[in-house]
Formats: sequence, structure tokens, C-alpha cells
Amino acid sequence: MTFSKILVYVETSEDSPAEHSLELIWKARELASKADMSVEAVLVGHGVFDIAREVTYRGVSKVHVVDNPRLATYSLIPYTTAIAEVIKKTEPEIALFSATVIGRELAPRVAARLKTGITADCTDVDIGSWVDPSTGRKYEKVLYQIRPTYGGEIMAAIVTPSHRPQMATVRPGLFPIPPRDTSRSGEIVGWNIEIADEEFSKIEVLEVRREQRKVDLKSAKLIVSGGRGCGLKGLELVRELAEVLGGEVGASRAAVDSGWISYDHQVGLTGQTVKPEVYIAIGISGAVQHVVGMKDSKIVIAINKDPDAPIFRVTDYGIVGDLFVVVPKLIEKLKRR
Amino acid sequence: MPVNVVVLMKPVVDPKAIVNFRPDGTIDRSAVKLVVNPYDKYAIEAAVQLKEKLGGKVVGIAMAPLHAVDSLREALAIGVDEFILLSDLKLAGSDTLATSYALSAAIRKIWQKLGSLDLILCGIESSDSNTGHIGPEVGEWLGLPSVSYVDSILEVRDGSVLVKRLIEGGYVVMKVKLPAVLSIAGTSYQPRIPALREVLAARRKQITVWNTAEVGIDQSLVGLAGSPTRVVRMWRIEIKRRGKIFSDPDVDKMLEKFLEEIRRDGISLGVRS
Ligand SMILES: Cc1cc2nc3c(=O)[nH]c(=O)nc-3n(C[C@H](O)[C@H](O)[C@H](O)COP(=O)(O)OP(=O)(O)OC[C@H]3O[C@@H](n4cnc5c(N)ncnc54)[C@H](O)[C@@H]3O)c2cc1C
Repeated sequence: MTFSKILVYVETSEDSPAEHSLELIWKARELASKADMSVEAVLVGHGVFDIAREVTYRGVSKVHVVDNPRLATYSLIPYTTAIAEVIKKTEPEIALFSATVIGRELAPRVAARLKTGITADCTDVDIGSWVDPSTGRKYEKVLYQIRPTYGGEIMAAIVTPSHRPQMATVRPGLFPIPPRDTSRSGEIVGWNIEIADEEFSKIEVLEVRREQRKVDLKSAKLIVSGGRGCGLKGLELVRELAEVLGGEVGASRAAVDSGWISYDHQVGLTGQTVKPEVYIAIGISGAVQHVVGMKDSKIVIAINKDPDAPIFRVTDYGIVGDLFVVVPKLIEKLKRR
Repeated sequence: MPVNVVVLMKPVVDPKAIVNFRPDGTIDRSAVKLVVNPYDKYAIEAAVQLKEKLGGKVVGIAMAPLHAVDSLREALAIGVDEFILLSDLKLAGSDTLATSYALSAAIRKIWQKLGSLDLILCGIESSDSNTGHIGPEVGEWLGLPSVSYVDSILEVRDGSVLVKRLIEGGYVVMKVKLPAVLSIAGTSYQPRIPALREVLAARRKQITVWNTAEVGIDQSLVGLAGSPTRVVRMWRIEIKRRGKIFSDPDVDKMLEKFLEEIRRDGISLGVRS
């Protein structure tokens, strides 16, 4: 019996495994090959055996499925129980979740259930040995959990030496998706986990309002984004600049929530993660939740009237000024060239 | 129905300050001002709005060193009725599992004193460590439902709370049985600014300090020894961005300089011909 495995919690999206979960499988496979471990996945829902099959095509040796009609939609407490029970029964060394709006509440809840440590929002994970400097004791197959802290200025490496599993949430959009290979075969194991009625009744979802995503910012070469500083009028300027430059239009959540532009344009933690050649942020302050979605852009340009706006800390070219003056003049100059 | 609310607050290093390291690689917190975590202010605002609408009591709690006490007075000025500072050297070095355990023990004690407790509110995450763990972990320790990313509290009725929760691409409305733990994301609360009179009154209000023994905290579960995770290394990110800032009241001149600079750096803005 080997305990040497990495377990990945796979979220579903429509009838497929979520892309960010597949990215996580890619990373888990890299760690596993480095430390001679295996990668397994856990899937919770109803009618998800086909999705489990898909997951095996991405290079997972075993998929644990908790399939139950009452688990058809995500609900925190029963999902916590399902995942925690699978972990107790399968004893993985490491359990990884995506740092999504679901993973970021589910993973800590599972960690607290299991009384183990967890690190949030890792931007990378690695595996190796670690020696405790105070005792001299050496630990093997230690997950190095690497994440920004103090608002992103400082990076920290964190370990969980003696508790198992070692848990972390990992940010989406950082790793490639492993190729789909239907010749791969992996085992699918169904688990019958008992979940009390009471767990289902504590949180009830009454209504879901979701906008369809139409604009694909992921493959855009140039994005011009507008924020709260723009207002409806400023967003017209943002659109015009994007048009002149042949780019796509992005937005901050503040602009989306104000109703000036639809959600499919939103960049950030609860929007899309983008990596264009050039990202131009106009009237956007640079909140962490926005920056996580655009920080891997090759070149970042910002236009903001506040010289102390945090966005200027993450830009290559910062233009300090009123966007209503700067942007029309910029458009004019670009058109003339 | 009056509601009793506990609000969790974290004194943090002022997010606007630049962080400094000590020679041993740990963060030097002594020189910088502590402020209430900006996200927690949304939770305070939500709690005070509930109190104004329904009545009940709002109790604030922070787990922090004694010198953090000044940063907490603002909460009292805004309408938090009572404040507990959970402070003990034995808590130093606690990670999120240990912190959530200690806070849960203190919440139990507050609950006992109040007789009933309906809601525990906190900010979605702290501005210094940004984990978002405390809400869900406190929920688990107390055996209560928790919801993260709460945009707003819509209604409290018949032993339940209706909340609007942010998801990718939209919202869900959910009904949660009380007592419940809610992590407030804050996009729809505007934290109020206290009037001078309230600030002065808050200076006279008492902040009660509890240590681990008074709360009945199992000391093997807190502090560095009670924390499963260990920070093994910290380093400053070198910002690889060029950080060239253009500022000139003559906008035309500034833009010419900017365009010239990016041209020289070989950057194409991909202008359509
Ligand atoms: C759980 C959670 C998830 C989130 N997810 C996201 C997300 O996915 N994406 C996202 O973007 N945000 C997200 N946010 C919100 C985020 O925290 C910020 O509130 C948001 O990004 C702010 O948007 P903004 O920069 O447009 O607005 P503000 O922060 O209000 O900034 C406006 C900026 O415009 C500037 N300005 C104003 N007028 C002018 C002018 N005339 N000329 C030039 N500049 C001007 C101001 O100086 C200011 O810097 C999330 C928040 C939470 C809590």
C-alpha cells in the first residue's frame, strides 16, 4: 500500500472538467514525476462519471467519484464532507485545489475538518525534502507552497512538515493543460459517502444569475481596459482606443458592476486571466483582484490621474493625467501616425 | 427579530506602507502603523446596518498584540458596542488553522455571555496575507455554515439569512440557517466615516483583553507549535516592470515623450493602418 499520491480536486464546468482543474493536474503530474508519486483526482456531483473518464485522459491514474443526486449542485458543507471522507480513506500526501471562488472556501473548510495546514493562492508549488532547522529532522516529499503576501510585494515559501495531507489552493491560469489522450486508461472508483440531511439544509441556493461569456480576451494580443474612473463616457474612449489599436476591450469589476460594460469583458480574480502583448489600464486603481488577472501581460501601460495609484507599481509605462484629456489626444496622435 | 453579531477584525500593516525586513528575514512590523484590515470595514458596516435595522448587539473581536489596541477604536466609533482583544504571547506565530481555532474559542465565550448569537462576520480576506481562510475555518470549528464572497446581506428572517454571493460571472442568492459565518467581499457596502463626537466617545469605551487561559484555549493548538504550516523563506519580488512614469501638465508634450520612449524600446502598439 502506497500513500505516495497527490490528489487534485476537479471542479466541473457544464459537462466537462474545469480548465483550471486540468492545469492543476498538469502541475501535479510534474511534481509526481519529480518525487515518484502518482496523481489521483476527486470529483463530486451527479452524473459525473463521464467527466471522470475525461479526467483520466489527462494523465490521472485514478479518479475518485462521489456521485449522488443531492450533490448535483455545489453546496459547501456536503462537498466538504465528501472530499474530506475521500481524503481520509485514500490518505494522499498532498491535496490541491484551484484558487477559485469555490476552491477558496471549500479547501480551507476541508483543511479545518482534517485539522491540517493549508496555504492559499499559490502561484507555484514544488516538491522536495526539508530539514527543520530547530530539530534537525528531515522531512521527505514536502510541498513547497509559494505565494505572494503583503499585497504582492513579498513572496513566501511555506511548508506543512508533519500534517497530512499538505493542502494548497493554486491560482488558475498559470500552467498549461495536459494534452487529451484517449489511449490512456485510469481507474474510476465510486464512493458511497454518507452525508446527513442536516448538512444539505444549512445552505440552500435559491437563485443563480450568470452572464454568458462571449468575448474571448484570452487570445487577444492587445487589451484596453477601463475602470471606475472612466464612467460610461470614458468607456467610449476606451472602446475607441481599442478600435484604433485593433485590440479588445477589457474592464475592471467596478466598471462591470456599474453596468457600463458586460461581465464577459471583466479581467481579474472573478473574471478572466489575460496575457496579451500589451495591456492598457485606464482609470483602474490596480486592486490585487484586478492585478492577478493581468499581471502576466508582456507590457503594461496605465493611465491614471492619481500618481499614487497602486497600478503604477505594476506598469512599464505610466501616464499620470486625466483620462478625458489624455485618451482623446492619444487617439488623435496614434491616428496621425 | 434583533440579531447579535460578532465581527472578526484583523489589525494589519497599513497597506500603503512599504514593508521592511529585519536582518533575519522576518517582517519588521514595529515601525509601521497598524490599521483595521480594509476588508473588515465592510463587515463592520454590514453589522452596524443590521443593528440599525433590527436591533441587537455588535461585538468586535481581534486577535492581536496589545499595541494593536489603538487601531480598533475606530470600530467602536462606527457602532460596534463592545470590543474583545484576544491577546497572548502564546498566540504568536499562529497560522490560519491555529488562529481560527483560537477565535472560535473566544466566539464561544462571547456567545455564552450574550445568550444567543446569530451571525459571525469577517472581511473576505486580510490585506496583508490575503488567504480568505478564517471565515470557512471558523465555521468548521464551530460546526456552523459559512459563505465566502458575500456581496450583501439581503434579509434576516425566521432563523435564516438571505445573502447574495459572488461567483464567476454573476451572483447566487442563498438562504443560510443561523447562526452562520459570512465573509463579506464588500462591493456593495460603503464603510461609514465616524463623526468627531463618536471618535471622542470611542476613546472612553473599554476594550476588554482576554488571554488564552481565560478563554480556555488548548495551548498545544495555537502559536508556532500548534500551527501545521511553517514559513520557510520570504523574499522581495523584483518588479520586472520598467516603471517609467510620465507626468507633465503639458499633455501633448507628455504623450510625445511617451510615444517616443516606447518606440525606442521597440514596443509596437499595433496601430491599424
Ligand atoms: C472577491 C472579490 C473579487 C473581485 N474580483 C475582481 C475582478 O475579477 N476584477 C476586478 O477588476 N476587480 C475585482 N474585484 C474588485 C477589486 O477589489 C476593486 O474593487 C476593483 O478592481 C476596482 O476597480 P477600479 O480600479 O476600476 O475602481 P477604483 O478602485 O475605484 O479605481 C478607479 C481609478 O480611476 C482613477 N480615476 C478616476 N477618475 C479618473 C480620471 N478622470 N482620469 C484618470 N484616472 C481616473 C482613480 O484615480 C482610481 O485609481 C474583486 C473584489 C473582491 C472582493
